[in-house]
Amino acid sequence: MVEGMKMPAVLDILSDNIIKYGNPLALKGPQVAAWAKGLDLPVKGDLLFYTGGEYQLLPFIDTLVKTITHIDTGSKAFSMMMGVRKVINKTGINAEKIYASVLAKDKDRYNSICFKAAKVLQGLGYEFCYSGNEELYSGALLYELGYMEDMKDYVQKVAGVIKESGAKTIVCLSPHAAEVFKFVYPKLVEGFDLEIRTFVELVWERRDKLAKSQTTGAVVIHDSCRLARELGIHQELRDILESVGVEVKEAPQNREWTSCCGGPIKMLFPELSHVIGSRRVDELKASGTDHILTSCPYCLSALEGGLAKNDPAIVEDLIELLYRGVKA
Amino acid sequence: MTVDLRKDFVTYAKSLNKASEDPNIRTAIGRAVTSYRETVAETLERFPHTPALALEVQEIKRQSIANLDQLLEQAMASVERNKGKAFYAKDHETALELALSIIGTGKTVVKGKSMLGEELHLREYLEEKGNEVWETDLGEFILQLRKERPMHILSPSIHVPREQVAEVFSKFFGKEVPPDIAEEVKVVREFMREKYFTADVGISGANVVAADTGAMVIIENEGNVRLATGAPPVHIVMVGIEKLVPTFQDAMKVAEVTWRYAQYGVPGYVNIVSGPSKTGDIEKVTTYGAHGPKEFYVIFVDNGRSDMAKDEKFSQALHCLRCGGCMYECPVFQVTAGHFGHIYMGGIGTIWTAFVSGGMEKAAPLIHSCLRCGRCVERCPMSIEVPAMVGELRKRVIYGE
Repeated sequence: MVEGMKMPAVLDILSDNIIKYGNPLALKGPQVAAWAKGLDLPVKGDLLFYTGGEYQLLPFIDTLVKTITHIDTGSKAFSMMMGVRKVINKTGINAEKIYASVLAKDKDRYNSICFKAAKVLQGLGYEFCYSGNEELYSGALLYELGYMEDMKDYVQKVAGVIKESGAKTIVCLSPHAAEVFKFVYPKLVEGFDLEIRTFVELVWERRDKLAKSQTTGAVVIHDSCRLARELGIHQELRDILESVGVEVKEAPQNREWTSCCGGPIKMLFPELSHVIGSRRVDELKASGTDHILTSCPYCLSALEGGLAKNDPAIVEDLIELLYRGVKA
Repeated sequence: MTVDLRKDFVTYAKSLNKASEDPNIRTAIGRAVTSYRETVAETLERFPHTPALALEVQEIKRQSIANLDQLLEQAMASVERNKGKAFYAKDHETALELALSIIGTGKTVVKGKSMLGEELHLREYLEEKGNEVWETDLGEFILQLRKERPMHILSPSIHVPREQVAEVFSKFFGKEVPPDIAEEVKVVREFMREKYFTADVGISGANVVAADTGAMVIIENEGNVRLATGAPPVHIVMVGIEKLVPTFQDAMKVAEVTWRYAQYGVPGYVNIVSGPSKTGDIEKVTTYGAHGPKEFYVIFVDNGRSDMAKDEKFSQALHCLRCGGCMYECPVFQVTAGHFGHIYMGGIGTIWTAFVSGGMEKAAPLIHSCLRCGRCVERCPMSIEVPAMVGELRKRVIYGE
């Protein structure tokens, strides 16, 4: 009788990092919260701005995959699954090494998305608090990868931090965080009755206050699976773009029929994930525009990665597009 | 004992990567996906009652799976009443041994397409025991010659283009077969005709079984099942117990929903077989084996299905009608075809792999390649919650079960 299965190391590393460091890649609190410097956000309030560190860790995911896959020239898959411990010890990643190899422009771009989201919401008159260095990742990956027993303990810590804020409502930038807060936390945390909203929903409610966008040309929306199917949010994105005067072209597979970006299997099957991402990019471009817009950190990263070399197509987050209106 | 699956993950990842670079898979699946979506949209418009009927079938399946023991008993009694012989096979080995005990050795067997047959490695087993076995479904026949496994449950040879079919046919038939689809179909037709009428045994699966009447409903388009189950003197049905429903009327509903989501307005043929062929035309004396088979056997196969039925987190996976729709919508399947699978394919296939065909060890790599994107659920007429089940299996992989 089989009692246990030895699985690819990357699974344990991700889950250990989440449990021990509150972040899948063991990023430190100050790294995750650096974007908020100068905004002076309060730590307590009715509405909690929640990043979960997800946009911030994007450049590191890609670099982690690249770093590891470069160690073994024979096979990317091999090194991800077998040799991962050569570069990463059991207690977490060598953050300094990974950190150093991340392109500054990627780091700046992804780090600034949280800042931009905050500015967009402030521009619409929302007041919110932020847990700063204390903020913990939602644990969505523990849930995704099946670490449900660990998740049961972990969510108590996260819920504790959230409770500290005194908030009644959480606004999530990532649909994955929103999904677990909405559907998983209430089952695991006693009295977890906060209202869970996404960035998209809050913007949608006050979309008449948005300034017209200077974006020229049409965009195509890549609906995130979680947002469109689990949370049922897809028309809202279109309404928002209509409000800012941006023409939307539709991909053949959209809304609740959207195609996954390939992101969820990136850590275990990086090449396949990449192919799925690039196929999705092709599908999106079939809409007739090269300007792809999404509203999920992992979709953003996976589609960006799915672009062919020298492909002039633009992949950006709704947050980035809206922020250009704020600055004007 | 701890099983080290890391190498399996590597091997699996390599096979996925290779498949993703296969131009045949890309062309064929691309075509198939487009055609599937267009045809289903068109047929659902033509037959707009279908989604509501699918909801009704969900309830029929739910109740059937909850009462499998009782339905099985009733169905076996019905088959016997119809002068057929009914057997129950608890596991893989018993199922094969039962089939062998009916068939024996040195026989010619013609076989219809069946996923259960794949699950049991039925053809290989019977061949090993000294029988000549022919896959009569064109796609399966191509794979039999190429010694490959199916890449889709309904279109098994979806990845083989006409040029490669011509190549393998030319070699097998010992004559030049041009890469012309009509010609390729024709040579197989001629070859198979002779087999149907000289075969000792015909084997088929069934898409749905009505317990009240013992009626086996078999959906097909090629007409091979009609011949394979009608011409030989013996017909053996091998069917999973999850195909049981209470009544003939229920069976018709299940069948219609199945073929509609398998992209048919109506299939070429719907075979309903419930016993051996018989006549009473001379002096009202019932005599068996008139034009069709004289002997009719049904082997109901469990092989892990009742465990699945009893597990509340997974019983819904038994509602699967095998229409194949989810596979066309799966982003991983679209890129890798049946490589995302062991015997059963796609997201739902990972669940079936874990329970009936390979176990957790085989299932683990598959489970982790599912995106959990949920588009299969959108398509599934039974709304099977595959992503939730995949999550549960991942949990069992991590903590042991």
